[in-house]
Amino acid sequence: MDEVKNVIELKNVTKDYGDFKLDNVSFAVPEGTVCGFIGQNGAGKTTTINLILDIIKKDAGEVFLFGQPVSKDTAALREDVGVVFDEMGFHEFMTGRDINIMMKNIYKNWDEEAFFDYLKKFSLPSKKKCGAFSRGMRMKLQIAVALSHHAKLLVMDEPTSGLDPIVRNEMINIFREFVVKEDHTILLSSHITADLEKIADEVVFIDGGRIVLAGNKDEIMEKHAILKCRKDDVSKVSESLIVHCEVSDYGAEILVNDRHAAEKLYPGMIMENAALEDIMLHYINAKNERQR
Amino acid sequence: MKGLIIKDIMCLKKQLTTFVYVISGVVVISILYVLSSRFGNLAEVGKTLLDENNNMSEIDVKNLGSMVLIMSMLIPVVSVGDMLNVFIADGKAGFFKVSASLPVSLKKRMLSRFLTIYALFAIGAFVDTILALVLSALTDIMSFGSFLGIIVSSASVLSIYSALMILYCVILGYGREQYAQVFALLTIILAFVIIKFKSVKFVVIHVLGDGVGFDSSTFWKPLDYFREKGYVFLLIAVLVSIVSYCLSLYIAERKRGVI
Repeated sequence: MDEVKNVIELKNVTKDYGDFKLDNVSFAVPEGTVCGFIGQNGAGKTTTINLILDIIKKDAGEVFLFGQPVSKDTAALREDVGVVFDEMGFHEFMTGRDINIMMKNIYKNWDEEAFFDYLKKFSLPSKKKCGAFSRGMRMKLQIAVALSHHAKLLVMDEPTSGLDPIVRNEMINIFREFVVKEDHTILLSSHITADLEKIADEVVFIDGGRIVLAGNKDEIMEKHAILKCRKDDVSKVSESLIVHCEVSDYGAEILVNDRHAAEKLYPGMIMENAALEDIMLHYINAKNERQR
Repeated sequence: MKGLIIKDIMCLKKQLTTFVYVISGVVVISILYVLSSRFGNLAEVGKTLLDENNNMSEIDVKNLGSMVLIMSMLIPVVSVGDMLNVFIADGKAGFFKVSASLPVSLKKRMLSRFLTIYALFAIGAFVDTILALVLSALTDIMSFGSFLGIIVSSASVLSIYSALMILYCVILGYGREQYAQVFALLTIILAFVIIKFKSVKFVVIHVLGDGVGFDSSTFWKPLDYFREKGYVFLLIAVLVSIVSYCLSLYIAERKRGVI
């Protein structure tokens, strides 16, 4: 069997800002997968992405990109990485044509034809200043740039946030097209878990600068479940199975971390599939309650 | 790296349009000045200054005239070389994140900024050189060598200013570009005062005082130095640029993610 190649790998990475610490973060993104990087705002997603891209300096740990350690001398590795930030980053006076002139003098593999094809496909006027673009258009412009130098890895920081469902769906379809090639990989950070449920193969969940969950999305979703019961029945559920329990006037809703075990132990209770959002919210609430 | 230089020049695109108008204006002003100083009102003023003011010599009047011309000739160099706009535009757009994600090392990113300045000064200096060639051929205000000396000196001083401004921009970070401009200017003034303390003291005392014992040749010494010792300024500019580049790189590496 072929060994799984990791396109991104973080080993015990730490970055301390004083008021926020990315603490001992370790995870890997296998080649050919879409990895959803989820967490609430301020959880450390952008910091982690900045560390992967070597935009900021890590305090400790190791970051590998395409199997090579990331350092200040490995800028060339970024030839194969397409990046989409939550904010556009290009100057507002720049047009698609200006960006093409700039990028073709930066990327060795810049494909001018592909770039203008993407602009056309995304209905982006090449002569219009990008300052006049809507948020959706700005995101599409970034994606066009990221895809026009034949990148093997797309790193995207909240590309779908603030966009309407139609544009979001369009984008998901673009990402799907990108990963059709088997050596293409995506790391997609978002707090909109519904998008990731549609496209992600792997999920990394970060909260408060620590990795809470990491692994195959289907396995994570299969393993977790929402157990619904009466308030009085909560005490019957084994504590080792409970991630978090939310009690209301109508009953209790428990996120369990082993669906099969829970089904066997409590056959009379209602078991529902847990969406990524449920899993994320319950883990965050559990942590908040522990801290209180 | 080439792409980043192109982007920096794009940031100055508005300025470059102004630059074309400025050059045309300067050429016209220079021609009018030359004509006027020979046959028109400026010639009259020079004559009156010589007749009425005992402290003025013919050399003083000529130097005063050439200073005015030099000032107008410096405009092209100054008008293209303002890197402040590039920093402000980059900070406003958040371009530093984009540039950090490109396959260009920090060394090259920093170098591109310095190279943009020199490319722009080279354009300005080239225009001035052509102007100097024409003026020295048509008039006796200054020899081409003196003109060239002044162009090299001015471009060098402005390069020193820009190199210092980049350094201060890197130290202070985005959003504080105006302070960087002031600090760069103060550093140059301070360096000049320290190096030329005696001359500065002399001029200040006589300008503020009653003017008794004022030797105008001392007053014109800096102009002569500027005219004749362009290579000294050029050497200093090269040195300051290298030091500024190395320091900027060191600080940028330490402040990665902030600038």
